[in-house]
Amino acid sequence: METKKLETGAAPQKLGEYLSRTREKAPMHAGHGAGGAQSVRKDDYRGHEIEIVTTYKILVDGKKIRAPLGVDAAGKVHCHSLPNYQTASAVDMVRALIDGFPEEFEPKPARRKSRPASRRKSRSAAKKGSKHEH
Amino acid sequence: MAVVRKKISQNADVRDQYIQSVQLLKKEASGRKTNEFGIPGAARSVSTYDLFVIWHVTAMMLETPPGNPAGRNSAHRGPVFAPWHRVMLMLFEQNLQRVLNDANFGLPYWDWAEDGDLPQQQQSAAAIWGADCMGGQGNPVTTGPFAFSQSDPSAFRVRISTNISGELRSVNRGLRRAFGVSADALPRTAHVTNALALSPYDSPDWDADTNSFRNRIEGWMNDDGVSATWLHNLVHVWVGGEMLLGSSPNDPVFFLNHCNIDRLWESWMTRNGRVYVPDMTADADLKGHRIDDPISSPLGRNATPREMLDVSAIYEYDALL
Repeated sequence: METKKLETGAAPQKLGEYLSRTREKAPMHAGHGAGGAQSVRKDDYRGHEIEIVTTYKILVDGKKIRAPLGVDAAGKVHCHSLPNYQTASAVDMVRALIDGFPEEFEPKPARRKSRPASRRKSRSAAKKGSKHEH
Repeated sequence: MAVVRKKISQNADVRDQYIQSVQLLKKEASGRKTNEFGIPGAARSVSTYDLFVIWHVTAMMLETPPGNPAGRNSAHRGPVFAPWHRVMLMLFEQNLQRVLNDANFGLPYWDWAEDGDLPQQQQSAAAIWGADCMGGQGNPVTTGPFAFSQSDPSAFRVRISTNISGELRSVNRGLRRAFGVSADALPRTAHVTNALALSPYDSPDWDADTNSFRNRIEGWMNDDGVSATWLHNLVHVWVGGEMLLGSSPNDPVFFLNHCNIDRLWESWMTRNGRVYVPDMTADADLKGHRIDDPISSPLGRNATPREMLDVSAIYEYDALL
């Protein structure tokens, strides 16, 4: 590799252009934006074509998480959100995700109670009244 | 003339230059804004250092081929792991040299196996985590040159990270590390020796389940040929925090880890010759990993695995294994 080509390619402008261009073309992983992840494994055995489609639907504390889990031919689970892990089960991977992205699993702070108690009470009563009326 | 890459723990001058140049790259505006990379939220300036964070995440998003169940991408979980990171490190080193105005500066490496040979409880106190080197652990890190201070706008900050879907997002927080939480201990010298004894660089199915040198150093399989977190992966997981994520180049120790991995690859080539597989007769499913395929980088066709086999005109190591 010529040093001159290396210097040119290393210029921040060149790297920025390359990244901007590549991200425009980059295909999203299966499951991105769809709320799930899917792996398709294929094999041939004794003249039979095997196709195994694995879809993960993961809930943590009842909330769906959008982690792109995949499963390889050996049945190991991987997830590019945690690129240095490979686990024997999806449960182990979700545990690792909870450790790796703690803020995504923090309970949302309770809504601030700013209204006077009497007003809240009247709203609640109004709601009850509304239900009753219908 | 080739620059010499040295061990960070034995070269204080190189260590200080590394810290200084990382800080300079972190402060240097690249001329790009977050919205140009599809990062949601208000458009913010992206530093040159953070371009390398975006590059790593982007490479991970490019599956090779799209939708493959092995999770092979344009930089990981396949043969191109070693050459892709060699390209990344060379471009990073060029930028360090530029901001230091020192064409003789060589990226240092962290010989983590040396620390892995220490008793487990001493590994967190190794010299690399000293206040004069990479600093310690925490959320955020509060010691060393990359310590966070909320009130100091010039303090080292993580500005681009990934969410649970692996997508880029803007953040504004300190660096995170958690030593030994997700893995007990660093790899040891014996593990490195065993990896170097493997003669095939890589082998079918060219994924995370093959017992080859590439797969062993990347860290998907242990010395018993069993799936495990090993060598390169184990270092990421042991350091924890930023190093767990696709945006792991946020931690300057990322480059020291990969420089050591690159040194292991170079050491392997002194034993086995400058050879690489797969060649161009391999299936098109391996496009991006074959010897003459362009590596996903700004160098285009100028950077292929073949071109990365002999870079002795550009740099060398002070010591191979």
